[in-house]
Formats: sequence, structure tokens, C-alpha cells
Amino acid sequence: MTRWFEDITLDEAFPLGSHTFTEAEIIRFAQMYDPQYFHIDPEAAKHSQFGGLVASGWHTVSIGHRHMVDALFAEEARLRGLGKEPGVSGPSPGVNRMDFKAPVRPGDTITYTLVVTGKRPSNSIPGWGLLFNTLEATNQRGELVYHAELVGFSKLRDYKMPLRLRVLMALTRLPVLGKVLANRTG
Amino acid sequence: MNPITASRRHFEDLSVGEITTLGSTTVTKEMIVTFAREFDPFPFHLDEEAAKKSLLGGLASSGWQTAALTLRMLGDRFLNTIASMGGLGFSELKWKKPVMVGDTISGTATISALRRSRSHPERGIVTIDIAIGNQRGEPVMTMRLANLIELRDPSAPMPLEAAE
Repeated sequence: MTRWFEDITLDEAFPLGSHTFTEAEIIRFAQMYDPQYFHIDPEAAKHSQFGGLVASGWHTVSIGHRHMVDALFAEEARLRGLGKEPGVSGPSPGVNRMDFKAPVRPGDTITYTLVVTGKRPSNSIPGWGLLFNTLEATNQRGELVYHAELVGFSKLRDYKMPLRLRVLMALTRLPVLGKVLANRTG
Repeated sequence: MNPITASRRHFEDLSVGEITTLGSTTVTKEMIVTFAREFDPFPFHLDEEAAKKSLLGGLASSGWQTAALTLRMLGDRFLNTIASMGGLGFSELKWKKPVMVGDTISGTATISALRRSRSHPERGIVTIDIAIGNQRGEPVMTMRLANLIELRDPSAPMPLEAAE
């Protein structure tokens, strides 16, 4: 989230908004990334277990990610509006689980919700914290479309770099020593 | 029999340990920015200057784009050659290294498990371990996919171990 690591409360639900999937966009995404017959051909899709065209799960997930990014920017704007300095979020190291539960058909409206379920300071990247997030997508009938367990990074506000690390970083800026140290620590 | 998938390989035709070599994709700046605008509009996926200051150290593709491009490579060489019924999901997706402008990614897909579905015995589940690397041989992304596949003979008796 665009909050400092220290300010992130666990188990708070963040509504990320909704998206209605059209047949045209389902086909366009699938033609680029997932061209299986039940994602690109409405006629052939009748022979599939779905009985018709459905969105690639990766499409539904990518749209969910877009909603999460938009929500982060909105939160950043909200904090600035309150005169507060927003936190910094970083790239994600990965996804623990992603379960596709129900298909998304043309005309379906999918609603996304994010919950931070756990957090801890990163061991590998000083000054950053790891966030464990659950993202759930439901359709207009309230059915669960997918459930995801994601990992994200958020910057610590109050981080003070240990002296040993500060010295090491200063040394790596010296060209020759830096090379030696990089070889030893890399 | 499903006329779309009749001539493709079915559950019975696959075996654990089978490795598919995926094709390769070179990622351009235009591809990165186009994907990011639609799905992942963080400054470090859109703007070179912002990217240099970020943890990524330069303009890099969205992790979701790397996954989507991988899926395309998997579709071309594997999913569209089998009687795929759709994906169940994935696990242990790890973005190990950013994919930078000009990088070429490729990799392998290994069948790590095959079993009959418990809830739908006429379906099989194939587990696929994906390993993607760049042109320097550095690991970029790994993940494990679960995909449904049609049985050629849905009436075949369920093996005991699959019914557990």
C-alpha cells in the first residue's frame, strides 16, 4: 500500500473497485497472451466445459492488479490531501497462491477487494517491509472468481541503517574496493 | 468427443517428467510501456528516469507481463497441443529478476504431476513447473501451474491413489 510500513493495519479491507468485461476485450487479451479456443472463439467455446466464451484467468488477474495500482495512487492522493507524506510501495517478489474459482463471461462485473493479512521487515532488502496480501474477486452474483495470496514491498518510515551496513555501502562506492566487496557479498 | 480437441493429446498421453522447451520473446520498451499503461501503471514500468531510481534499477516489464508472455509461449508449444480445459490457478510464482528493455526470455515447462480430478473423475489435472530465464542464463521467474485436461476415456476406472 502507499502507506508507510508502520502505518499498515492488518485485516483492513480495501475495496479496489469493479470492472465489466466485454467480449471484445476478452478476445483481444487472449489473442495476445492466452489463445485457447474457449478464450478467443465464441463458437468453438460452446464445446468447452464452460459452454461459451470465458476470460483468461490471467486477464481477470491483470485487471485486478490494475485496480490495485489505481487504489494505491488514490490512497497516495488522499494522504497528500490530508497534508501527510505518503509511503512508498515497491515491486512484488511474487504470488504464493492464485486459485481460479469461477469463470468470467462477457458482461460479468467483477469486484476486487484487498486485505493485508501479515507484514514483517524484509531480511534481504534493508529499509523495506514485506506485506502479505489477500486479493479476492467476486462477480455480480457474489460468487468468488479468484482468491490470491500476494506478496508486496512497502518502505519503512523509521528505518535507520545499521552502522556496519552504512560503512559497507560507502566502501562499495570506491571503485576498486567496491568491486572486491561486490564479488564477496554477491 | 469434443471436436475441437479430438486430435490433441489427452490426459492418458502425458507423462510426469516430460519437458517442453518454450520459444523465446524479446521484450521491447514499447511492449513494456503498452502493457504497463493498461495493467500496471507504476512509474517504474512507464518512465526510464523513475525506473532508474526504483528498486528495479531501470525500465523493466511488469511481473504480470512476464507471466503473460510466458503463458503465450506455453500456449504455443503446450496448452494448444493438449485437450486443455482451462487453468485452475497457480502457486509459488516468484519474480527473481526484472526483465529489462531488450532482454530475451525463454524457458522450460516440466510436467511435475498428473492426477485425476476428485470432484470430476472424467477430468485430469496436469501440474506444470515453469522456469524462465534471460539471455544471460539468469533465472527470471518460476511458477507452478495447475491445468485441467480431458481424459480420452472418461470411463476408465479411477486409480486408488487418485481417489484419496
